[in-house]
Amino acid sequence: MNKATNVFFMGKGGVGKSTSAALTSVFLAQKGFQVLIVSLDPAHNQSDIFEKKLSDKPFQLAPNLLAIEIDQEFWIRRYLKDVHHQINRTYSYLTALNLDKYFSVIKHSPGLEEYALILAFEQIRKDFSRYDYLVFDMPPTALSLKFFNLPSLSLIWIEHLLSLRQEIIQKRELITKIKILKKEFERDKVLKKIEEQREQYQTLKDTFENSELTQINLVLNPDKLSHAESIRILRALQDIHISLYRTINNKMPLDSSCAVSDDALANIPMLNFPYSETPLIGIDILQQFLEKNEDQLEKQLNVC
Amino acid sequence: MNQFIKSITDRVISIWKITDEVARGKAVETIEVELEEMENVFGVLVLGSFIGMPSPPMQISLDLMPFMEKELILMMEKVDTANEPIAQLFSILDIG
Repeated sequence: MNKATNVFFMGKGGVGKSTSAALTSVFLAQKGFQVLIVSLDPAHNQSDIFEKKLSDKPFQLAPNLLAIEIDQEFWIRRYLKDVHHQINRTYSYLTALNLDKYFSVIKHSPGLEEYALILAFEQIRKDFSRYDYLVFDMPPTALSLKFFNLPSLSLIWIEHLLSLRQEIIQKRELITKIKILKKEFERDKVLKKIEEQREQYQTLKDTFENSELTQINLVLNPDKLSHAESIRILRALQDIHISLYRTINNKMPLDSSCAVSDDALANIPMLNFPYSETPLIGIDILQQFLEKNEDQLEKQLNVC
Repeated sequence: MNQFIKSITDRVISIWKITDEVARGKAVETIEVELEEMENVFGVLVLGSFIGMPSPPMQISLDLMPFMEKELILMMEKVDTANEPIAQLFSILDIG
């Protein structure tokens, strides 16, 4: 049983997604949870925040705290190599057509970017299933929304393809029955693959929609633009039945009471992260910041 | 005499078999064409991005492509007859 909780950090560029993700992961690790922080953002700010050279190999930042950076290019290359291998195995006589040429173009296809993130996400959930929290520092809004939208969108296509394929198989069986009087049929490989895909996307969709497994934190600043984008993110997620776990008001004057918003964000729990005079870089500074504000943060976590 | 009867019986059986096969073939001819058309539609739907059609997310196409040899060949064949749909329909319905 995969018990790890996925904690995502989304928001407009520059609002402090990476810093909020780093602070949360350090906070959870200090509480004794096993935490992995994953940077899915191609900008990879976690290396700068923790002042460590991170890569796709887990790096121990502190007791209970590991970090990984995902290389999108690597996952796209790995995936295309698998498909290429499969095609070569099935159509060995087509090798004369030089498929490499086509694959170098497919690499730039729209949609593969978010699929690479999905593949990395699935692998991480598998490899770190025993962890308590997987903290994901997400890419900019557009790509993040595509990431969350991918399972639902793919399922729409898959359902249609599945029903067409089932109709084809029915007709094929009918013809075989009349012509050869045989009742044993070979399992259709395409149907099998579509069913596998359906299961994969359904599992992902269920994971994203399950609020016990997935907590999406929306980071925003006290300014109009980041607020407006946050509302758009909230609506886009609601369209695909994914709910927000919490909004994080970053760079706020710390107040023990919960900030109140008068619009769509009003019903979502909020947390205020105070503005820090010193740049939050390095694990020691992050720990100091948490220590300094521990009482206030705890109070908010209990109340809000 | 026995040999003669056996040869007649064999011939009758063989004629029966061929007639049966032809009748069965005739019976499913139209369905076969329909099936072929459906397989072509499936191929175009999944692999449409390669010929400029709207298509499912790239990974769905790429995952299914290794198993769609038949559909690929069919799509290529259909390209040949695509310009003469009426002629194709007449030949299916055995007109003319």
